[in-house]
Amino acid sequence: MKDTKNFTVNRRTLMLGATAGVATLAMPSVLRAQDKPTLVTSIRSLSNPYHAVWKTGAEAYAKWAGLEHVTLVSEGNSEKGIADIKAMLAKTGGNMVLNSDPNDTPDARPIVEACAKAGAYVVTQWNKPGDLHPKDFNPNYVSHIEFDGIDSGKTIAEILFKTIGGKGGIVALGGLISTTAAIERKKGLDAALAANPDIKLLDFQVANWKSTEAFDLMGNLLTRFGDDIKGIWAANDDMGSGALEALRAENLAGKVPIVGVDGIKTAVDAVRTGEFACTVTSDPFWQGGMGLAIGYNAKIGKFDPTKEPPEHREFYGKAVLISHDNVEEYYKTNVDAKPEIDWNDLWGRVTGAIRT
Amino acid sequence: MSLIPGRIATLFGGRRWRSLAPLAVLIVLCVLIAIANPNFIEVRNLVRLANSAAVPLTLAMGLTFIILMGSIDLSVEGTLSVSAMVVVLLAANDGNGNDYGWWAVLAAIVAGTAMGFVSGLVQTMLRIPSFMATLGMWFIGLGLSVYMLGGSAIKLNDASIRDLALHRFLGLPVAVWVAFGAFLLAAVIQYHTKLGRHILAIGGDEDVAKLSGVNVVRVRITAFALAGFFFAIAGVLAAAQLGQSHAVIGDGRLFAAVTAVVVGGTALTGGEGGVVNTLIGVLIVTVLANGMILLGISPYIQQTVQGLMIIAAVALSLDRVRLRIVK
Repeated sequence: MKDTKNFTVNRRTLMLGATAGVATLAMPSVLRAQDKPTLVTSIRSLSNPYHAVWKTGAEAYAKWAGLEHVTLVSEGNSEKGIADIKAMLAKTGGNMVLNSDPNDTPDARPIVEACAKAGAYVVTQWNKPGDLHPKDFNPNYVSHIEFDGIDSGKTIAEILFKTIGGKGGIVALGGLISTTAAIERKKGLDAALAANPDIKLLDFQVANWKSTEAFDLMGNLLTRFGDDIKGIWAANDDMGSGALEALRAENLAGKVPIVGVDGIKTAVDAVRTGEFACTVTSDPFWQGGMGLAIGYNAKIGKFDPTKEPPEHREFYGKAVLISHDNVEEYYKTNVDAKPEIDWNDLWGRVTGAIRT
Repeated sequence: MSLIPGRIATLFGGRRWRSLAPLAVLIVLCVLIAIANPNFIEVRNLVRLANSAAVPLTLAMGLTFIILMGSIDLSVEGTLSVSAMVVVLLAANDGNGNDYGWWAVLAAIVAGTAMGFVSGLVQTMLRIPSFMATLGMWFIGLGLSVYMLGGSAIKLNDASIRDLALHRFLGLPVAVWVAFGAFLLAAVIQYHTKLGRHILAIGGDEDVAKLSGVNVVRVRITAFALAGFFFAIAGVLAAAQLGQSHAVIGDGRLFAAVTAVVVGGTALTGGEGGVVNTLIGVLIVTVLANGMILLGISPYIQQTVQGLMIIAAVALSLDRVRLRIVK
């Protein structure tokens, strides 16, 4: 018993020492350079393709602009996300530009407040509370960017309906019930259904954004509706690809068209082979780079945020549709090569102010 | 109130009846769903059921041994994702130029077994509870897959490995036969080997087992390695089914596996239950998920139904009357 106790203490000491050592190593030396601002990307995780591409875009911009870049990953933990940003603010003395995809809606407020207090410039994407506005934190809170989920859900639904000839039954796979993106994309689907009375929604089921769940779910839906399923609407590509594999296991791949959102590589490949009818992407490469570009240009005085119109402060970005018609072109410029984006064109993809 | 099902069970013949409770639940469930929607007993649907059960069954086989010992293995998702990552990156894929065919499968199984082996070593040698040791292995495995896959999904292009999911033998996908083989292997280990008996003995009472001459450390390490072996096979099957691997391929599998084991009647406290119980548990969970879709139950309340099901199955299958302390 005594031995065990001693051993525990040793192990704990060892772990503490190791943690401190790793933490010290993890602090990049660039943090001490105070002249040029540091670009900081704050995202949820690197384990999903979406945020992995986001980071590539951020790095591409940083290289283009000749600035140091640091990526913070919250791993889905809001406290960690906010604490890491505050630590960065302290290290850089506020001389930084932050492009953040807040882990959760309420997180945006403490993040923006901390940045404003430290004098850093911040751009948020996707998540912010309805009563938090860039104009209330002039000039530090430069912009907030979202993509219209209703529009995406509707666009892909319309293409699906056209592909199956305007009539027949479809099934829909939704995302995690409580998330804004899932709710909005479903609204878009509902709007498209209302305009197409010959299309019947056989069932709407939730696969929580995951291909694995969609795979099992699709098998069950095939049992219930069999050949009545003429098309599949998925709220994201990962679920769409799970459904596709379930179809493949039954020799139905390519016979029942699928549509999704996100533009992940699997989906783009499937659009090429005709197994997907289309996918639509917010273009995370652009999001990762342009968020930093907007913040940096405000910081160095290229434009004055206080003088920008409302649709430059809170706006919907333009989503990119990838369908049979343009997939080869998209593949050449985005998959085979790194996308070429004009980083000076700050407002080129603004489609309008965010609905309130 | 909670004692009532237990008392009813006791009235109708006590322990013997109770050990059959999960099977009864499964049969009742099947009958009810078949009455509501005859499509349920179509051959095509039974094949789909078997196909959906393949990965959870293989996973739950490994987990059963750990739970029988009274421990827990949380590394399910980490080990599964490492094995799926290894098989995809070594076989023909769209991320690098490798094409080692079935050697990739072997490597994946070795990797999974090694992870289980390390979990066992950490638990017994560093004397860290299995909960923490395997939680650590979970994150190590997940981190490793994220790093190796660069955060994206890599496609599996090796046709012969994909045939695990796409090729059918006697009407069933090969993956189902593999899962069935895993079940037979687990049954043999549990009922016909010394290792199986020792695992049960440790779960029943570790001190007694030790005094009876069981090498507890060796049995524990072997059991964790064995669990890793099963998780790795499940990882290969999952990669074959989905035709790709990404780091989150294991998401949600831990909870599903634990649910299946417990619903089947294996006690979380160890020493009671076994792989046959787990087979029934997996079928209950799979049939329930299939049935809820067939009955058109709204996705908004499906989770609630699942929760009720878990409580009901556990209340029926364990003798709550005998438990003096409930933690």
